[in-house]
Amino acid sequence: MAPSDADASIPLTGAGEPISEAEALRRLRQSEDLSLQYYAAWWLGRMRSSHPEAVPLLCTALRQRQPEDPSIGVGTNAVARNAARALGKLGRPEAIPDLLAALEDEDDGLREAAARALGQLRAEEAVEPLCARLASGPQGAGAPRENSPKLREPCEALIEALGDIGSPRPAVVEVIVPFHDHERPIIRAAAARALLQLTGERRWGESLLELLLHPQLQVRRAALMDLGAVGWRPALEPIRGTLAENSLKLIALRGLVEQGQGEPGAEAVLAVMDELL
Amino acid sequence: MTSAMTRTTLIEAVQQAGTAQELLAAAQALAAAAAPDMEAEAIGCLVELLGYNNPGAAVAAVDGLIAIGPAAVSPLLEGLDEHNYGARAWAVRALAGIGDVRGLELLESALGNDIGPSVRRAAARGLGQLRCEALPPGEQEGIRQRALAALERSLADGEWVVRYAVAVALEGLGVSLAGSPLHGRIRTALDQLADPTVEDTCVVCQRAQLALQRLTASAPTP
Repeated sequence: MAPSDADASIPLTGAGEPISEAEALRRLRQSEDLSLQYYAAWWLGRMRSSHPEAVPLLCTALRQRQPEDPSIGVGTNAVARNAARALGKLGRPEAIPDLLAALEDEDDGLREAAARALGQLRAEEAVEPLCARLASGPQGAGAPRENSPKLREPCEALIEALGDIGSPRPAVVEVIVPFHDHERPIIRAAAARALLQLTGERRWGESLLELLLHPQLQVRRAALMDLGAVGWRPALEPIRGTLAENSLKLIALRGLVEQGQGEPGAEAVLAVMDELL
Repeated sequence: MTSAMTRTTLIEAVQQAGTAQELLAAAQALAAAAAPDMEAEAIGCLVELLGYNNPGAAVAAVDGLIAIGPAAVSPLLEGLDEHNYGARAWAVRALAGIGDVRGLELLESALGNDIGPSVRRAAARGLGQLRCEALPPGEQEGIRQRALAALERSLADGEWVVRYAVAVALEGLGVSLAGSPLHGRIRTALDQLADPTVEDTCVVCQRAQLALQRLTASAPTP
């Protein structure tokens, strides 16, 4: 997982003043000013709003579509994408049908946000459509587009969602395995992460450890975030030793404490965290 | 023992490095030669390395500056760059590791006001490990009291990693204040971080609970 994903929904400049929950809901309900809606959607997710109107309003926002409009500072379907991200954070299964619909949208940025949210919600219903999007393999879904750095499908998000949902059926594993040979190391990391989550097999963890030694910092960062998301504790020493910012190592090690189990024990992980502060 | 001549060569290697890999290797070599009697030029070179946006080189430079100790404090304080967050975080980390009380004011203000969480977390850690054994007892108490007050003000910092660092620092302060009346305040502060109904980040609670256990185990029996 690319660490920048965590910041993908930062608020627009100038809209970042503190607001109340009631104000966020009011801003989301109106539809004249998209930048206000955009910020409100982000706010409700960030604050983990439990207001009964939050999920229905976000689902309505998720069904909204708009072209790119730099004059008001919002990109293509920016409100819908932020609504999807917020719905992933709120953890309410009522949002699943609308997110499944967004997973079929022609906007790949929206598909990416919907896939991540469905992963966070551990939506079993999403396993089949996610697999269907990936079934054509690294040469199909994973092929680069012409004149764009993007792949045909947002493979990283789709694969990670399958890992997060955690349905270890052989058919799911079979769809992901070929991506472990993808030419892009970030996609290989996503595949190793998901396969480690689904199978618990050591070889996939070791594959992430190899990526911690990759010459590109961006790849090492991604492998750190992936090891943290899985909480694979045998990675403790390699995480300590990799060349990357301590901030990211600390996030990864938090994952080892909170998600992980077995050896090394939590106290050993905490000792390394103390050292990195 | 590395000679002054060799150190000059090592500084030149840092200055002439053309790639990130070369810079890393040169920084590591210079840092490995660091010692309390290092020349000002070499110390200055290590301080500059904090600002190159090369995490590996900065890690090595911080280790080198900590090995130099008190002699690196003035160059670090004078070399602070207000506009480079990364460099400032590394500098605060070096000062925290050296533990010199001349860094107290900077650590207090960094913990309270800096917008970079990595700077605040390094500052918190440093406040828990200030070395003031050489000072008269009255001054020691005053410095530790200031450090404790700064840590208490950051118990509700918005970033989990800063609260984690505050827990670690409170433990460090608790060890150096064994038997002091301030001990009760340290436990109260740790209790807040250890309480899952107040502290929502699990790893912070776990760390604060560990700190409380250790302070209890090491407390002198009445």
